[in-house]
This record gives sequence, structure tokens and C-alpha cells, in this order.
Amino acid sequence: MKLFQTLINRRRFLQSSAAVGAAGAVTTGFTGLTGLTQAPPARAQPTRGETTITKNVCAQCPARCGIDVYTTDGRVHAIYGTSDNPISNGKLCPKGHLGSYFLYDPDRFKGPMKRTNPNKGRDEDPGFVPISWEEALDTVAERLNDLRRREESHRFAMFYGRGWGASDAGIQYPFGELYGTPNAAIGHSSMCADGSKKAKQATDGNNSYSSYDYRNVNYLLIMGASFLEAFRPYNNVMQMWGHMRTKSPKTRVTTVDVRMSPTMAASDHALYIKPGTDGAFALAVAHVILTEGLWNREFAGDFTNPRLRFLAGQRISPVTFEEKWVHGLADWWNEELKDRTPEWAEAITGIEAEQIRRTAVEFGSTRPAVALFERGATGHSNGTYNGMAIHSLNALVGSLFAEGGIGYQVGPSYGKLPVEVADYQDDYARNGAWKEQPRLDMKGTDRWPMVGNMMQECARNHLDADPYTLDTAMFYYTNPIWSAPTPQVWEEALKDVFVIDTSPFPGETAMYADIVLPDCTYLERTQDVPTYPFEGWPMAELRTPAVEPIHDTRMYGDVVIELGKRIEGPMGDYYRELGNLENYIRHLAAGFADDPGDNGVDGFESWKEKGVWYKKPYQWRQIRGDFYEWDGERYSRQMSAEEVKQHLFKTPSGKFEVRSGYLEQHADYIERELGIPRARAGLVQWVEPVYTGGDGDLHFVTPKTPLHAEGRGANIPQQMMVHQPIVGGRNTVYLEVHPQTARERGIRNGDRVRIISDVGSIEAECRFVASHRPDTLVLPFEFGHWAQGRWAKGRGPGNSSEITANVSDPISGLASYYTGKVRLERA
Amino acid sequence: MAKWGMVIDLDKCTGCQACTTACSMENNTLPGETWQDVLYYTAGENPSGQMKWLPRPCMQCENPSCVHVCPTRATYKDEEAGGIVFVDWNKCIGCKYCMIACPYGVRFYADEKPLIEPDIRDVFPGENGQLWSPPYQNPEEDWRRGIGIQPPGVVSKCTFCYHKVRHAPEGVADLDEDNPEVKEYVPACVRTCAPKARYFGDLDNPDSQVNRLIGDKHGVRLKDHTGNRPQVYYLGAGAGVPAFTPADRENDA
Repeated sequence: MKLFQTLINRRRFLQSSAAVGAAGAVTTGFTGLTGLTQAPPARAQPTRGETTITKNVCAQCPARCGIDVYTTDGRVHAIYGTSDNPISNGKLCPKGHLGSYFLYDPDRFKGPMKRTNPNKGRDEDPGFVPISWEEALDTVAERLNDLRRREESHRFAMFYGRGWGASDAGIQYPFGELYGTPNAAIGHSSMCADGSKKAKQATDGNNSYSSYDYRNVNYLLIMGASFLEAFRPYNNVMQMWGHMRTKSPKTRVTTVDVRMSPTMAASDHALYIKPGTDGAFALAVAHVILTEGLWNREFAGDFTNPRLRFLAGQRISPVTFEEKWVHGLADWWNEELKDRTPEWAEAITGIEAEQIRRTAVEFGSTRPAVALFERGATGHSNGTYNGMAIHSLNALVGSLFAEGGIGYQVGPSYGKLPVEVADYQDDYARNGAWKEQPRLDMKGTDRWPMVGNMMQECARNHLDADPYTLDTAMFYYTNPIWSAPTPQVWEEALKDVFVIDTSPFPGETAMYADIVLPDCTYLERTQDVPTYPFEGWPMAELRTPAVEPIHDTRMYGDVVIELGKRIEGPMGDYYRELGNLENYIRHLAAGFADDPGDNGVDGFESWKEKGVWYKKPYQWRQIRGDFYEWDGERYSRQMSAEEVKQHLFKTPSGKFEVRSGYLEQHADYIERELGIPRARAGLVQWVEPVYTGGDGDLHFVTPKTPLHAEGRGANIPQQMMVHQPIVGGRNTVYLEVHPQTARERGIRNGDRVRIISDVGSIEAECRFVASHRPDTLVLPFEFGHWAQGRWAKGRGPGNSSEITANVSDPISGLASYYTGKVRLERA
Repeated sequence: MAKWGMVIDLDKCTGCQACTTACSMENNTLPGETWQDVLYYTAGENPSGQMKWLPRPCMQCENPSCVHVCPTRATYKDEEAGGIVFVDWNKCIGCKYCMIACPYGVRFYADEKPLIEPDIRDVFPGENGQLWSPPYQNPEEDWRRGIGIQPPGVVSKCTFCYHKVRHAPEGVADLDEDNPEVKEYVPACVRTCAPKARYFGDLDNPDSQVNRLIGDKHGVRLKDHTGNRPQVYYLGAGAGVPAFTPADRENDA
């Protein structure tokens, strides 16, 4: 508490000295001299207090870098990567160092508040007045109890974005089951990267991002992943880049993308592809790998007669090809691949056939090789099929679960909670009217049968009262009113919804909030953080506060627990039994007692000290077409086909499927939504993309940049001044356009331009970038705030989401962020 | 005494600018006062265009032109401190002559109109003679060497993080962040570099890793024709400064 007191005193001092500072500035202005000032009084080094280092986890992107937070005299002043953390290894990306600016952001909310202005809109001042935590929590709880009494509890939704683990997003699931709403955990994944997860589920049965063995890979084919800008875990990816590019043999890299980027510039080959056509490129690569005989026979299988081969345009007899771990290969060739020549792909992708052939030969003849992709390839109507085509290359060369290949993440050995949801559900929770209701986003219904989430649909569904209208919505680490495709719809939708925001920062959601329950920033939190897919072996990190909360804020997990305690019936007892967030996390950590980490972490205290629990190595490995399990010393125990199906290929066939059993289960839906004949629904295949946005003549792509991956640093002036949107901009972010494209429209370098689609128009300053495709405009994602703090608000360029149509891949549900067509004109 | 030198391998650098932000945090520079910057250049046209980048700290020249022109001897090369070029803020009068003399553009005068509004100096007004006083400031301060937050009206520059480097054990060949014994003494930009494109060590020690890298990979110094003889070496393809031509508003990217 003493630290807290010191900070309060200092803040008061800062406030009182602000007036003096302003007066001083005026005087300086009158002199008209910016140079020759009086020499300051001489001084040497002052004394300083003790510096402490606490373990935390950066929260600016999903990478989850372990960080050392340096605090002296109660002030955080430096953040470096934790040396013995397997992801950060003492390193950080450019965002990581700026963490202190979040803690000391002068625009942060200082405590809970309620709205006094009933009108909502961009230009409406919410008229926030401070209230106590008791009043804030009681107000929300009374509202929730009232909904429950009226049997309308399904009209309460909890939206979350960057969830960290069991103690925040994870805590929402039991809340829904106890309270009675199907909407307790509507995630943002459909506005993030569900396309790559779905492509993997459809082919190898793992609805997940992959883990990668970069240490041992010798060839990387990167498609639409912004590898050196925003691919997670970014910091570690860059460490591995340094390794891959200097090891022997050097890892060769071919990058396929729609624009110039640091990744393209740093690769051995850069191939510029027409947006939405990555699947055609990958199919042609697969075609060449087969016709050139470069596939991995031990993994994929082989002809029964060594003289047989794949010949372009000619079918093979399925009985002559013996499949091993790739299910449907003969069908795939006969029904799709035999005609997917490089020349065919050139006409679709714009990449010369010769370049495609060269890539295929390099990829097919260098082992281990990995094809890696993200939403550049999957953020389209045909995204899942694009992703499947790229991922199938990994199967052809046998890199699945191989050394130098690709795998999947295993979760941590968490302990059990002291309470079971089933013991605290009343009749209403078990059988109430809410059970009849679908989720607001229609996930799992005939409208979206295969998706993980569909957050982007919620505003429209509310306005249409289909399936019903929202009454109360709570937001955690997500801001769809600004970041969703066509966020204008959210601005209408949230006008008559009771909005609870939990962000520490005055973002757009907060401007619509009826009540604000501000979270602590990550440097003030205790929070469990299991790793995102990394190297496969299990790992979980822990945030520990570097300082006591410097404002009257509470951790989101504690807010959920406190709300739970105030709900009528046995639900309150569940949360009273749980106690508080730290108690909850201590129960998770108890699981480490029976499974201590490699660094000796065996419980809460040691977890806090080290900041991370992990256990190497990965349990399984594929070696020359056979699967083995780790026996404690080596991969020696061969796995049965059943075990492979249980742990690795979780598909109907237990193999990698280029004829997807998962998609075939939804063949009617796929035929209806994508026009693909039922019988072909499962094949990895080329599907024409459907471009959105109207009759524009230019593609519009909105990449993420190194300083701005999730846009969390929007209110950091230091970040804005060094933000280099590829071509060296300062203080703003430019629309990048090929000079020829601009000149045809009478636009000069540096002009203010308007970008128009059928859902809206935005303005930006343009920069000529001759290395981009002439048919593609590039404007980084997540700019153009109308709130979020004094530096972010009103700063250009326009928000790319406002001209992005809300259209999604019917299979994965991923919003088609990179599929828009626009027009360009001088503003 | 060591002669501190830095090696930057452009074949490994990804242009991410972690060096830039680590520096700005460690040294509490103002927005745009980027002691450690990364410069981007583009050339060519789709589909064969190229983009290059060049990280640029102070070169800590052996023969620094900034020192020669300083009228108050505020800026000086400190051989006792490994040859680092410092500005003594007790002596600097902010005449900016050194900024003009420096061929590398790595000196800054921040007591100007803010480069980004609102002015962060109004948010965290200066105390105790500082130009501004953010709550997250590094407690290290030594105005005789331009360390800490400067007073108004002086020139500031990269110090090779001397407040860290000065604690290095006597006779150490390299300050390698992967060595737990010395990681706290490594300059911020070197310590954080994820692809390990930066190395820091003693140029007077022929066994140091920096000297081996310079030898093996043909290290070059920028603008060697000026005779400034930097203590920063670059390795790899594109280790040079592209020729500067004035911006052509119509045609330049």
C-alpha cells in the first residue's frame, strides 16, 4: 500500500505542476529562439532506490513473451524479455518495450463509472460519473438477476477478444452455464484467424494453429502470413529467423504475398499474387511435386508399380496407388490436381508458371520443408479451401509431426477447481427457457454449422431481432464497434443495449458504455497465460503484478467472480467457494505438483518466481512414415494407427485427408453456400473467390505491422513516431499505391485520397510504392480511431474496417478482411 | 580500457525496430527523438522491387566531426569510457553545430515544437530541471555524459547505454546478452535484438566476437570516406547507405 500512496502523491504533484509547465512553455515561445538557452546548473548522478524485477507476460499480441519488469521506487521503467523463458529468451519485439506506456497512459480510466447521458453516438459525451465498485457491481448484478427472473437470461452476452487463459476468458464458460445464457463466451476468433484452424481441422483433424520446428526446417514457403511483421509468436519467429538464415544449411525462404513487406524483402524469392488466389498457386505446386516425383513416399504412399507416375491431364487407377498417411490422394489427383498445371495457375494468380514450377521443385526436393500460411490466404470466401491446399503440401513432403516440420500444441497440467458447475446449477440453469435459444451469433445452427464463433454477426442479428435482441452486453479485450467489418452497424446496434466495458482505456466501446468496470493493465495483474501454439510441448506462464494497481481498477477475473457472487440462487455459492482470482489460479497451479516443469516449477510460488512452467519435448514424432512416442530418452515406442488417430490425425480416416471427411459431413451446406457439388465437397480444390465491396477496380488489403499487430498501442505517441508503414512514414500511416495506378487517376505522391467501397468511404494520404501490385491498394489495419485516448482519437488515416463488407467464409466463418474491391480517387 | 564497438548484421536484421523502442524506453527519449533509428529504402518496380533497411545508432566515431566543431567542448570523446562520444549537458548551449557536422544524422535537439500533438511534455511536465518528467523514467542519470532526461536547450544522442556498459567487468571481450553474467551491461538495442543481428564488444581485443565477425564477414563502416572512422560496423548484403537524392514528389516512393 505504501507504493500506492507514493504514486498518488506523485500524481497530485504532477497535476499541480502542470500549470507551471504550461506557463514556462509560453515564455519560451516569446523569445523566438529555440537554441541558445542558459546553461543548466551542473549536476552529477543522484541516488536511487532498489530495483526489483517481476515476471510478467506481454499483452500486446498473442505471442505471450515472458517479460522482466524493472521497477524502482515504485515506478516501472524498463521491460526486457525474460532470459529463461522459452518464447522470449531475453528478447522482445518493438511493442514489448513500450508496455510501461500502457500502465502510465494519462487517458486510462481511474475507476468504475456510470453513464449519465442516455444518448449514444460518436459525438455524444457519455457524461461518466465515478461510482464505487459496490454500486457498479450491484447495478450490473441487479440487471442480470432481473433478466433471469423474467426468464430472458439468454439476452445477456459476454464478448471477449484477447483471452489469456483459464482465469479470464475461461472463467466465462461456467458463468454462462450457471446463470443461463448461451452467449457467455462469444469470442473474436472469427474476426481473427479461424480460417487456418478450420483448414487444418478439415485436413488433419486439429482445429488449431500449428506449432513449428523452425530450428530444423530447411525450406519455408510462406503464404499470406506477414511472417516478419505479425506472425505469432512474433518475437520468437524473429529469433528463429536469425537462426534459420545463418545455420548450415541455410533455410531457404520463398514468400508469396499480395504486397511488398519486410518478409517479402528478406526472402530468397518474393512472388506477388493476386488476392484470394493462394489456393490455385498451392494446387499447382502440388501438381508439380507429383508429376516430378518429388513427394515423400514413406509418408504419402506410392505406386504399386515403380514405373507408374503422375502425368499431367491423365487419371491414375486408384488401385495402383497405395496410400499411407494421405487419405484420398488418388481421388485428389484424378478429380482435381491432374489439370492444375503451373500454366493454369498463372492465369489465375498472376505468378509466372516458371516461378511456380521452380518453387515446387525447391519445396519438393528440400527436406524438411514447411508450407506456412495465415489469413492473407484464408481471409476470403474460399479461405478454408485455400488453406487446405497449402497445408496439403506439408502432407506431400511428409513434414507433419516430423523433425523440422509442423505439429500441434499440448495444454498444461492444470489442477482441478474446488467446485463443480453441476453442483451449483439450479433448475433454471439446468432446464430453463434459455436452453431453447441458439447463440446470438447463430454458431452451430444451420446458418453457421462449422464455425467457432461469429461475433461479427451479432450487431446485425440484434437489429433484426433474429434470433432475438440483446439486453445487456459485457466486453472484455474486444472492441467490435470499431474493429468489426462494417462497424457502423455496431454503432447502431449498441444504442439500445446496456453496455458494460471492462477495458482500462477509453475506447470506442467505452463511449457506448452504460457502466465501466475498468480492468488493470497487464503490469498490474495476476493472470494465467497458457501458451499459444509454439513448439508443441506444454507451457503455461503467469503474470505477476509489478506494482499495485495505480488506479481504482480490478482484474476482470475478479469482476466476473464478484458478479457471480451477487447472482441469486446456488450460483452465488459457487463463486463464494471460488473466493477470488488468486485462489482460482492457485488451484490451477496445484496441478504442477504431480507434473513439475523442466525448470522446477511445482506450484504457485515457484510459478510466480519463474513466470513459466513447461515440459519438453513434444511427445510424438513422425520418422520416415512411422509414428513414435517419446519414452523419456528418445522417440522409440512405435504408435498404432489407433493411437495416431487419437493424438495426431483426428480425422474420420485417422490420416491426413485431401478428401475431407469433415467437409463431406457438411456437403449439403457447402453445396448450398459455395455451389460445390455435394460429391466434391471434401476435395482439396480450387474455388473462385467472391470479392466484396461492389464494383471497384482495385483490390484492398489491410495488413498488420510490427508495431501494431493487434492495434493495442494506438495511444502511444512514441509508437506513432516510429511506426514505419513499410515505406518510412512518420506520424501518420499511408495508403500505399503503385505510381501507375495513382497517375491513371490524376493522383500525385502525397495527395489526399478517398477509398470507396459499397459500404462506405475513408480518406488517407497516399504514398507511391512501386513494388506493390498495380491492382492492389495497401492500408494497414487498425487505424482511424474515434476514441481510445488523446493521441489515438481523430488521427488518420481512415479505419479500413469501415469500407470492409461484413462477409465471411461460410466454412470457417472468418471475416473476409482481405477480399474487398474499392475505387480510388483524389479527395 | 576497452574500445567499445558494435556490429550490425544486415543479413539477420528484420527491420522490426525493437532496437528503436528499447532505446526510447531505456533512455526516455521524446517521440521522434530516436537515438536509434531504422531507415527504410525502396527501389525497383513490381514484381522485382526491393526494400532495404538500415538500423542507425550513433557511430561513436574514432575521429568524430561533432567533437571538432563544439564551441564549448560540451561534446567529447571519452577514451576512458571505451571511446564513447558524450554530450556534457552541463556545458552544452544548444547551438546545434554538432548536428550539422555529424555525417550520420544521429544527434537530436528535442526542445522544439513537438513532432506529435498533443505535446507529451505538457502531460508530464519537467521537474528538477528536466525537459519532461515521465513517471516511467529510468532512474539512471549523469548529465556530464548525456545520460537520463536532458534539461531544456541541449543536444542529445546515443551513449551506447554507457550507464549499463560502465558496469562491465574489466577486460571482458564481448558483452553478449546470452551470457547471464553480463546481460545487464549490454546496450538496450543489442540486448533485445530478436534475430541477434547486433553484437557488442571490445574492438581492441583481437579475440572478441565483434572482431571475428568483422574479419569473417568483411565488416564495413558507413561513409568511410569522411574519415570519421565509426566504431560501428555493418555486415551483410546492402551494408551501405543508399545515395541520397532529394525527394521527387511526383515519382519517388
